[in-house]
Amino acid sequence: MKRYSQYTIEVGDLWDVSFWKKADTMDLIYIVYGLFIVILVVVSYVLGALSLLPHNPQEINLELLMAPPNTAGHLLGTDFMGRDILSRLIIGIQAYFLPGLLAIAIALTAGTIFGVLAGYWGGGLDTTTTYISNLLNSFPRLVLILLMVAAFKPDIYTIMLVVGVTNIPAVASLIRSKILFLKQKNFIEAAMALGLKSWVIIFKHILWHNCRAILIIQATLGMAEAILMETSLSYLGFGVQEPTPSWGNMVQAGANYFMQGNFWPSTAPALAILFTILGFHLLGDGLNNILEGKRG
Amino acid sequence: MKLSAIRPIALLLARELAITALLILGVSFVVFIIIYLSPGDPFGTLLKGQTTLPNAPENIRGALGTPPAWYAQYLSWLVNMVQGDFGTSTRTGLPVLNEVIRVGINTLYLTIGSMMVTLLIAVPVALFAARRGQTPVNWVLTMLAYVLSALPVFWLGYIAIYISMHHFGLFPLAFASSAQKWSWLYFMFPVLVLGLSNGTTSEVVRFLREEMSRVFSEDYIRTARAKGASIWKHSFKEGFLIPITEIIASKIPFILGGAVVVEQVFNWPGMGRMAWQAAQDRDFPLIMGITLLAAVFVRMGSLLQRFVHILVNPRASKE
Amino acid sequence: MKRLASVLLMVLFCVFMMMPTTAMAATKSDGNPDGGNLNYGEYGRPATLDPITSNDMISLRITELLFNGLVGIDEKQEIVPELAERWEISEEGKVYTFYLRQDVTWHAREGEDPVFFTADDVIFTYNIMMHPNTITPLKVRYEFIESVTKLDDYAVQFTLKRPILNALAKFSFKVLPKHGPQNSEFLTREDPFVQQPIGTGPYMLKNITADREVILVANENYFKGRPHIDKFIARPFADQNIMGQALMFNAIDMIVLVNHRDIPQIQGDKRFVLQPYNALSYSFFGFNLRNPLLADKRVRKAFTYAINRQEMLDSFFQGQGPIISGPFAPGSWAYNLDVQPLPYDPQKAIELLTEAGFSKGDDGIMEKDGEKLSLTLKVPIAKESEAVKRVVLAFKNYLNKVGVDIEAEFIEWLAWKEDIFLAHEFDIMFASWVFDDSADISSLFHSAEVGSWKNNFGAFSNPEVDSLIVESKLTLDHEKRRTINRKLHALIADENPYTFLWTLTNYAGYNKKLRKVAIHPYKFFSFSDEWFIPRSEQR
Repeated sequence: MKRYSQYTIEVGDLWDVSFWKKADTMDLIYIVYGLFIVILVVVSYVLGALSLLPHNPQEINLELLMAPPNTAGHLLGTDFMGRDILSRLIIGIQAYFLPGLLAIAIALTAGTIFGVLAGYWGGGLDTTTTYISNLLNSFPRLVLILLMVAAFKPDIYTIMLVVGVTNIPAVASLIRSKILFLKQKNFIEAAMALGLKSWVIIFKHILWHNCRAILIIQATLGMAEAILMETSLSYLGFGVQEPTPSWGNMVQAGANYFMQGNFWPSTAPALAILFTILGFHLLGDGLNNILEGKRG
Repeated sequence: MKLSAIRPIALLLARELAITALLILGVSFVVFIIIYLSPGDPFGTLLKGQTTLPNAPENIRGALGTPPAWYAQYLSWLVNMVQGDFGTSTRTGLPVLNEVIRVGINTLYLTIGSMMVTLLIAVPVALFAARRGQTPVNWVLTMLAYVLSALPVFWLGYIAIYISMHHFGLFPLAFASSAQKWSWLYFMFPVLVLGLSNGTTSEVVRFLREEMSRVFSEDYIRTARAKGASIWKHSFKEGFLIPITEIIASKIPFILGGAVVVEQVFNWPGMGRMAWQAAQDRDFPLIMGITLLAAVFVRMGSLLQRFVHILVNPRASKE
Repeated sequence: MKRLASVLLMVLFCVFMMMPTTAMAATKSDGNPDGGNLNYGEYGRPATLDPITSNDMISLRITELLFNGLVGIDEKQEIVPELAERWEISEEGKVYTFYLRQDVTWHAREGEDPVFFTADDVIFTYNIMMHPNTITPLKVRYEFIESVTKLDDYAVQFTLKRPILNALAKFSFKVLPKHGPQNSEFLTREDPFVQQPIGTGPYMLKNITADREVILVANENYFKGRPHIDKFIARPFADQNIMGQALMFNAIDMIVLVNHRDIPQIQGDKRFVLQPYNALSYSFFGFNLRNPLLADKRVRKAFTYAINRQEMLDSFFQGQGPIISGPFAPGSWAYNLDVQPLPYDPQKAIELLTEAGFSKGDDGIMEKDGEKLSLTLKVPIAKESEAVKRVVLAFKNYLNKVGVDIEAEFIEWLAWKEDIFLAHEFDIMFASWVFDDSADISSLFHSAEVGSWKNNFGAFSNPEVDSLIVESKLTLDHEKRRTINRKLHALIADENPYTFLWTLTNYAGYNKKLRKVAIHPYKFFSFSDEWFIPRSEQR
């Protein structure tokens, strides 16, 4: 039973002050930075939804194309139509917020189900889910999205649907291999020997105790991937379409003037993408280290 | 190699082939359905840019002898495919198989190259972090990997081109017919950009770090360490080989996607660029060819993973 | 910017005479040096390299280097002999007899002896072009021909269905070798010939590299004398920004069509020449007259008054090109310079809308009988189409100021084409027409051209316009036709079925080492055999 305890953390740890005191300072910094970004994203989303912006993001000013930062009241300058970049950055998060969450929800829910089916019960279920996973995995995802977008409409929800669905195998295989690993360590046999019911083992002991780190990381990665995917699609012309701002189409539009030495209009949204994705990644890392890493 | 190891591998190969065939059937069907449902006639590309006679689409269909019903279209494609005939591209009239293999090889270079770049950075960083914990140097490298993979690929490509032009006097154009002395250097740019960026490096670092520290903290390794034995010998297979092949396998579809963008920026004559064009032209035979080849690449990755898995742990082949 | 090319050919001059030709030596006698390579950048890759199945500008430019027509068009837009050394036209203008050069050989394939060009090749080309199984944009252009007969090996006779104006220029179609294609009846893209063509032109196809770079080498036996430059290399690019930089960095020597956003950078650089060439094209916003709100001429005119075309042109295109008022390309003889483009006058726009029965609603949007003036603008997506985005966004913005709500919708190209030409589900669309040398606008505005996949997508119908178009077509006198077209121009300008925008000046950008560069407006390389690179600059 020693082995069993080694892989669990008492539920409620997260609310325990002493637990946090033991945590690595660096991990705490990561988490604080990540949470700061998350809060910033949420605040931007709310500001955008309430239209509390420094400028009208759609207001065109042909006299002031691609102005550098801090000209005429534009804190981050203006874009190729003379629109305020800061306002467009803030409202640009609208393009990712709900669709990104949708993508994550799809990937995590379906991925977990598939993973558990394949890993816990195995057999025919394993073969079937593995086939579906392999099928989804066999498409180069950007090509699949291109096809979908070309076929239907360049809509952010279409894109995110595909991102979510194509991420299912990754989550599923992580969960599956985790379960297989636990099986190998006789963890599940031990739990069964204790007379626990299957669903208790799955939800409490497998998913909550052993897989939450995986799920958190996958969620943060999913959001990051959603943003990058939209950016790549924007470059190919099939991302979120004007006049709706998204960080991806802002980078793309700005990048057309990059080679002429107009760096700013693409750098501003690219930095926004950088800091946000970094935030998600570090948040995932920090939480993971604290939840999973410092055992033994 | 021990004889006992060959049987599971032969079995594995046979199984993989069967699975691949099934997958190809599935992939082709899904892709077909998407193309079929998409607006725009696949033959629009033949009529692109001209004043069309009203019955032109029907005329073209007639001229090319394409059956009208959707299942007939798919079945006739499938039957031909099984016989080794992938058809010809609607746009260029070239045989799909040759075309796809030609560009597929270029994409394979790009994919393998950038995978190596990713691993060359990620493995030492992850290994170091797992063994010794974070040191300042390691931390800086990790952060660098995180930052690079959080940037839009094409934007990083633009920066790379801008810097190479203005500071090194190099123009990173791959595959130019007038290849110059340092032409191999040009190949490095897209490989580096795709390897570092595209959201992969950070993920690989993280995954490897997790897996390695997990293995290092296992009982048997700790016992070995306490006895003063080499950790390497004991942890190499499970803590090193398996995670690496696993991440390679799972990253291939991702890198193939990133290649679509990188190939456009760096003028790399690969599959991704062709796919982008074909998707817009509704070039049905070509799209099918490309997605099938991509599926084969992905399968090769997972075959490698299974292979290594069985070599390391023959028991696993039985699950 | 995607273009819809309206390929209807017509030319300024009508030459009724026999042209003597002098047989030329193997080298040109202009004293300019041979040698050097020309790498030119193209945005995209050619689909096919033969003149019949190809339908993109990139292929068109390459076929111009590989092939010749019976007649050619020189820099002054006059018709000159090419494969035909002279011709006769019957009195009533129905029979055209061409006497062919006897010293022309086809590019020799490896291990083959050169084959002489004969009348059989001309007849073969015509038959292949008109075969129902051949998919080619050329077919519509040559339906005026009744029959073709071979008089002898070096003479062919075309009989027309009826005399038409400027028929001679239409005989500039490129001639294919009879021994070229595998299929001797029709040509499809599956024929190997379309990727490995042989012609009579100044350059021969050497090979196509892995990247679909097309490498052409000088034809030593070219009947007009060996071209000066040794090698032409068409290098495809997938990113216009990178292509611009490739020129700046001498990785390529020429860009056939410089993106307008790159003009200032190239202009400021002494190493390069920016050469304008007149494109017979224009951009416009087209209205769907099926929408009752847009059926009112005053509303359409109000839209034109409401937008500031000069400001857009200056801000987005460095002011490169004239604003236009009517349906003809301004470079063409049919364009009526007396009709002025409507000025920018938002006040007038509001007046017109009020006159048409609209009044401002609570939200600042014009409405009539409770129906809001809220319209959908459909625009095709093209990668890196910043300029299009800018124009569309500015258009939306200008109209918003006079109380018109525009919903801009960017959609994928083939889907867009279906929406516009088949389903007619749009209120306004943005596009460009590209004409060859044409002043024939019948397919755009004649009421008989309303319907699926027809070019009068907006269902514009005006009996007066119809009769003028028919009259213009039937007139065989150039001056009379000009007068009719001027009337037509004024009438359509007043009806305003499109908001006509501008014709952008095209620029080729190239390295200074290239000399004597003359450019044909849409075939581009017609005069390239005269181009040369001074010895000192041949790398």
